[in-house]
Amino acid sequence: MAAADTRAVARAPAAGPMRTAALPGERGWRAATLAPALVVFLGLTLLPMLNLLVLSFHDVAWAERTASWSFVGLANFRALPGDGLFRAGILNTLIFAVVAVGLQMVLGFGLALLTSAVVRGKLVYRTIFLLPILIPGIVIGAIWKLMYSFDFGVINTITGLLGFAPQDWLGQGHLALASVIVVDVWHWTPFCFLLLLAGLESLPQDVYEAAAIDGANGWQRLVHITLPLMIPTLVVTFVFRMILAFKVFDEIYLLTGGGPGTATEVISFSIYRRFFTEDRAGYGSAMSIVTFFGIALLIILITAFLRRRETGR
Amino acid sequence: MDQVKAVSARLRRWGMAATVAIPALLAAAGPSWAADEAPITIVINQSPWFAGFQKTVELYEEETGNSVELDVNPFAGSLEKQRSAVRAAESPFDLLVINAGFFVEMYAGGFLQPLNEIDPDFKLDPGIYTFDDSVYWNAETKLPDAQNGVLLTVPINPFIPLLHYRSDLYEEKGLSVPETWDQLLENARALNDPPAMYGIVQRGARGAFDVTYDMLPYIGSHGGGIFRDQKSGDFTITINSPETLAGLETYLKLAKEAGHPSTAGQSQANVIQNMATGKAGHILAVLAASTFDDPNQSIVAGQVGFAPPPHAEGHPSTPPLGHWLGGIPKNIPADRQKAALAFLKWFQTEAAQKAYAEAGSPPVSRAVLESDMAKEEQFRWMGALAKALPTAQLTFVIPESAEILAITELGFNQAISGEVPPARALNRMAEEIAAVMTKAGYDAPRLDPLPE
Repeated sequence: MAAADTRAVARAPAAGPMRTAALPGERGWRAATLAPALVVFLGLTLLPMLNLLVLSFHDVAWAERTASWSFVGLANFRALPGDGLFRAGILNTLIFAVVAVGLQMVLGFGLALLTSAVVRGKLVYRTIFLLPILIPGIVIGAIWKLMYSFDFGVINTITGLLGFAPQDWLGQGHLALASVIVVDVWHWTPFCFLLLLAGLESLPQDVYEAAAIDGANGWQRLVHITLPLMIPTLVVTFVFRMILAFKVFDEIYLLTGGGPGTATEVISFSIYRRFFTEDRAGYGSAMSIVTFFGIALLIILITAFLRRRETGR
Repeated sequence: MDQVKAVSARLRRWGMAATVAIPALLAAAGPSWAADEAPITIVINQSPWFAGFQKTVELYEEETGNSVELDVNPFAGSLEKQRSAVRAAESPFDLLVINAGFFVEMYAGGFLQPLNEIDPDFKLDPGIYTFDDSVYWNAETKLPDAQNGVLLTVPINPFIPLLHYRSDLYEEKGLSVPETWDQLLENARALNDPPAMYGIVQRGARGAFDVTYDMLPYIGSHGGGIFRDQKSGDFTITINSPETLAGLETYLKLAKEAGHPSTAGQSQANVIQNMATGKAGHILAVLAASTFDDPNQSIVAGQVGFAPPPHAEGHPSTPPLGHWLGGIPKNIPADRQKAALAFLKWFQTEAAQKAYAEAGSPPVSRAVLESDMAKEEQFRWMGALAKALPTAQLTFVIPESAEILAITELGFNQAISGEVPPARALNRMAEEIAAVMTKAGYDAPRLDPLPE
């Protein structure tokens, strides 16, 4: 039958009250009900972005309690490539996001697989694994800063007992970014775990039953059933985490302040410095605009790439 | 009936008497429960001297009945709050406690009310330090100027870096208090026994005005600096002079030969922690005597001595002024301005300054600093502070300090961490500072680059 008939039904004009053409008064009603949401969107999203864009073409100075805006054209944007802090921020943010999110995805998926296979006490495991994400960022900063402390930290105490020399985890250029990544992985793996566990638990069980009848082993079920079915969830989780990782600020602010040198400088922190500490509103806005569009473009490209792999087109 | 009238008349008389007497009694009973001024809010940073300031504020409330709320923030957070406050229609804060690194921004932006416009009779007590005239501002020349400027602030804290050393270990090893960097190096080497004890712990981490501040005593006392002579209008950039390089190399030599292995990562809190836990032989830091002498916070109580920062042979000790100034914003109502000035008036009295010192914070009154209090063991730091203050210098007299500090904080930190060699770091800083100064319209010539 029926495939052709189904399509015919789908294309037929819909019957019933939901599909009738809107009356002129009804159009007005629809517009009126949508208007508040539109106003909120314009007020909270579009206008601040437009303000930031306008600001990025200006320099702002204060005299006699009055701000004077001077138009500088593209000067703020042209200065960006020569800004060492901005360049370091971009590079470190990319390294941070890719490594941290990559590790979180692998660990989160592994933990989700293990937890989904548990028959008894699943709630206990889920609660334990979720704990780090419930701790406020400021507390995480304090905890890890103490743990990493060269002189008083528990990590150096333990490695010292094992016969290793103490390391300056946050103060050496080659270790600092890796140390911050470890904290981020600890903090955000539960987020990946939670989403991926929800995805795993919603997979259709009949496919696994059929595979079991066909004699597929665990590895084959993982590679040929679980992973392909999980790709939409994996993509969403990955994109969510990438967006959050590009915005990392609190961990850097609390643990290293971007140092030593520029070893842990990330783009959010560079913007904060330029915009707020140095009080360069125009230049900080230009950094923000470029970063915003850069991240948006990157996320679109990543999503398109993963979707293409998912659909095979 | 007559009796009723008589009683009524008597009651009326008593009532009238009470109307006159009760307020008089209230006034006579003292201000401890009758506030004269509007409540004020002071925005301040969390520093080693804050606890003493808090106690002094409590004393002011107790003595006057006036109410003061303290809004306490980290160093950079305090600056950002102050900026937002003075640029708003009405400031939520009535008194801004502004650091030496950023006060010109507040002056030049026209954000502070001249104190004599609030009270024409107000005068800075002659016994109060003016810290290189930084309390006055000449809007025409855009420079601190005691002769032709107006009084904008009252000093709150006289911070400069002081050498803190372990006096017990000095005695044990027969060391003398160092006057030069070479002597300090010798002493630091003598005490250096890592990881149990570092000869010296220096702040090297970058922040808003962190590593630059702690680097300046080394640089200044070798004849170097960021600019040649700002107060006379000579903005020649000298941060890449051979003298500045010599200062930076002295810092690095101390760090390498007798310092903490993680100097680039040391914040002020780390430096103080190392001294308080007995792991530092020396630190060069703003005064933290109240912390070190408190047995609840320190294992070296009574064992820390104080001295002016050392200097290179042939140069004076030149600590940078890191003092704090109290200013009143223009954008608050007159009654709150008056109330904030009332606090400043009280704060500069000798009695308040003594109480401030007793509470653990260094006073801004020369009279107190040089008084007999300095002879008491508890206030042994006063002598060092009084000796070091006369040669202390302002680091910035231009409003672009925040931008310049961002450059120097990164540059010095990179040099300390080894990310960039010292000469290259200084050349880069000079180049970047020149760009800031040129953009701001200054004539700021540069020296020839140092050989890299």
